[in-house]
Amino acid sequence: MQTFDNASSGAIVLSMAERIVENRAYLSEIDGKIGDGDHGVNMAKGFAMAAERLKGKDASLSESLDTLGTVLMTEIGGSMGPLYGVMFTEFAETLQGIEKIDAATYSRMLHAGLAGIQSIGSAKVGDKTLIDALAPAVEAFDTTTAANKSFGEALEALVAAAEAGRDSTINLVAKIGRASRLGERSLGVLDAGATSCAIILKELSGGARERLA
Amino acid sequence: MVLKTSAPRKGGPGRGTGPEGIDTIPLRYGDDPYVWACWLYYEDGMTQGEIASAMGVSRATVNSYLADAREKGIVNISIEPARLASLTIAQELKRHFGLADCLVVPNGDDSRPLIGRLGAAGAQALSKMIKSGDTLAVAWGRTILSVGEHLEMGSLQDVTVVQATGGTTASFAYTPELTTAAVARAISARCVNITAPAVVASAQMHDMLLAEPLIREQFDTLARANRIVFGISSLRPNSTIHTSGFFESVPLQHYLAKGAAGVLAGRFIDERGRPVAGPLDDRTIGISLEMLRGIGTRVAVAGGFDKVPALLAALRGGYVNVLVTDAATGAGILRADGVTSLDGKLSQRQKSTPVANSYRSHVKKFLNNPNDVVEEMLDGLIAAHRPYLQPIGTSHRALVARNGPRPGKVGLVIGGGTGHEPCFVGYVGKGLADAVALGNIFSSPPPDPIVKCAVAASGGAGVLFVYGNYAGDVMNFEMAAELAEERGIPIRTVLTTDDIASSPVEDKEGRRGVAGNFFVFKVAGAACDLGMTLGECEAVTRKANDRTYTVGVALESCSMPQTRRHNFEIGPDDMELGMGIHGEPGVSRERVRTADEIVDAIMDNIFKEMKAEPGDKVAVLVNSFGATPLMELYILYRRVEQRLAAKNIQIEANWVGHYCTSLDMVGASISILHLDRQLTGLLHHPCRTAILTIHAPEADEAAKG
Repeated sequence: MQTFDNASSGAIVLSMAERIVENRAYLSEIDGKIGDGDHGVNMAKGFAMAAERLKGKDASLSESLDTLGTVLMTEIGGSMGPLYGVMFTEFAETLQGIEKIDAATYSRMLHAGLAGIQSIGSAKVGDKTLIDALAPAVEAFDTTTAANKSFGEALEALVAAAEAGRDSTINLVAKIGRASRLGERSLGVLDAGATSCAIILKELSGGARERLA
Repeated sequence: MVLKTSAPRKGGPGRGTGPEGIDTIPLRYGDDPYVWACWLYYEDGMTQGEIASAMGVSRATVNSYLADAREKGIVNISIEPARLASLTIAQELKRHFGLADCLVVPNGDDSRPLIGRLGAAGAQALSKMIKSGDTLAVAWGRTILSVGEHLEMGSLQDVTVVQATGGTTASFAYTPELTTAAVARAISARCVNITAPAVVASAQMHDMLLAEPLIREQFDTLARANRIVFGISSLRPNSTIHTSGFFESVPLQHYLAKGAAGVLAGRFIDERGRPVAGPLDDRTIGISLEMLRGIGTRVAVAGGFDKVPALLAALRGGYVNVLVTDAATGAGILRADGVTSLDGKLSQRQKSTPVANSYRSHVKKFLNNPNDVVEEMLDGLIAAHRPYLQPIGTSHRALVARNGPRPGKVGLVIGGGTGHEPCFVGYVGKGLADAVALGNIFSSPPPDPIVKCAVAASGGAGVLFVYGNYAGDVMNFEMAAELAEERGIPIRTVLTTDDIASSPVEDKEGRRGVAGNFFVFKVAGAACDLGMTLGECEAVTRKANDRTYTVGVALESCSMPQTRRHNFEIGPDDMELGMGIHGEPGVSRERVRTADEIVDAIMDNIFKEMKAEPGDKVAVLVNSFGATPLMELYILYRRVEQRLAAKNIQIEANWVGHYCTSLDMVGASISILHLDRQLTGLLHHPCRTAILTIHAPEADEAAKG
């Protein structure tokens, strides 16, 4: 059975932060089309702050996720601060104390994150939010493992589903958040939250896949 | 020159006779004053003032002739395509990778080798950046040596140039020593070489050498570097990294096998810019990647198509914040990173000759570091409004009213993102809000400062939260409410939802809170100050919110300090109706109409919902979004007053000015509070804040008498 190591995988969070910082301008640009254009700036600020705290610490994946979640939750504000904050905190709590992460644990982690977000936000699939990337990704992971495929294959399916979910937001009308007041005008534009969520899931799952043993 | 035409008119009274001047257009210009003005300006090089004299018209007329001539296509300004392309690519690189600056040399000039042209451009970039007192680290390489050869700066003082890596054999001209010396010589700087080899035989040797006091001193200088200039080497088979002898070829194969995409200052990175570990790491003497990334100005000079993957890796890794490259390489980097819009921009700009009128690429602002705007604003604001408020503890994101909270009184906490000044902070003071929590620009504060506010505002009778209905604010304030209740402070919340354009009446709870906040805060503050219970305060605040109606209109969108660009463009003849206060687009886009027609559209909407009878009283707020001047606000107010008078609705009180803004947005909103007896009393209740002061009624009477 494939697993990866909690203790040596903290660097995944650092590379996740790098990807978010790299995409700062892009995320703000798509956010500016229907939102207030600060998604990239705020996300980059939070992730960079967390990376700064983690640098040189050699922290485990669960510790790193906990630091990231706490920074986002307490320092960033806005809507993404609490939403991603709770997601990463839930991820961290699930992985805490686990040495070898297997597909079942990974699935538990994903579900805990999703449930955390749904406990503070009211978005559903189709509302043009980050849930449109996250929910199908979790589902694809479960379906793939249920079909007796490997952990690695399930991670691949997860990333593909997150990206497909992100792309689906182009054709959706926003139901939640600032963009929701624009009605039909939000059609034809990617949702910034779904886009950043796809980046996060890709980096997390890609990092896990590279480390599978 | 055609000065003869100007002579008889210069300064004479004929100046005002525009038509007469145009009557005497010299024959060679046909009958066209535009052509005449353009000829004098572009061909004869006269100033607009001289042209005004020559033509016998005002300077303003000349200015508009010139502008119109461009619009009409009489004058076409074209930039040489190769140069335009390099500008476009530079701008795109800067934007895409968040660079501090970028210089791209045009291709197509094959008369000089690329290394020389990059060197000249690198020298130009450095000469703009190096200041007296700097310590500049220099990495080795052909391109950087060329930078040194092209650099010339005379008047600097106390500059130190330090070698960024150890030395190599002198079998080629661009060794670290020579490169560093060339740069130091060019700017008359003190030169510090690293007197150890770049790569030594073993890790033990590395540690021993670094323990040598002389070398340690050299490294101390390197650690002080505040700028660095370096080249980037690819790992392609024919690159200098293989031929230079800098590295042995066996370890090199190791790094390649582990996915190394490029080398900077002797260190290997993969395609994402992550360090690649290998056998040379602890045998290399020189700046580490981490040290490099900690330097403030990091200038990379590199070009050539084979370097695209290496450059992209360095950019992704954040090692570069000033890039000097050539157009073909720059375009390659952008395409490799998935920027697809570039080709459109390049081809489109080249074929469309008339350049648009909007020559500005960014909005001017009073800024130091754009990332510090919120902190710097709060420093100034707290100093300016010291009589009314003070920070809670050390954070400037949570402020409490002086003389506000008191035992037995319900505390009022308000808050939200910044960028709306004087909202929210201007409404903190005795008789109004007790504390305010502030977030980043247009972004809710996190729970922590909100909890601090609740604790500071609490007088044992509970705390009322009042804030705008936005997803982010709701999440953070709800979390804060839970945390405050855990500490034994009862919390009630009223969300403001006054923007009637943001959702239909059936979805009243989904509406957002905008400038009408002002009325809701005022009523809540008065209720708290009068000693009403938490439940009563909540109820009357809710009533005020239910009876407040706002509609906003934007003419231009706002620009964030970090981007200094408009969040989105509103066409030259358009306006956004139903505009919010966060620079997000409005509910519908329409043609701009007259001020009266705009007010009529807004008031018609408000009247549809506000069931006011003749003789009812209202309070009116005409609010600027930031850039719209009072002059225009009064024009709007005039019409609001006319429309209310026509229905025999009395204006009990009014406010016209900047009360809830959206940075520099051009536009305004109109808010109406439909009063009843209770709300009227609360509106007139005394308060003392930075922006709103209401005196006790006796004082008012005295003033009237």
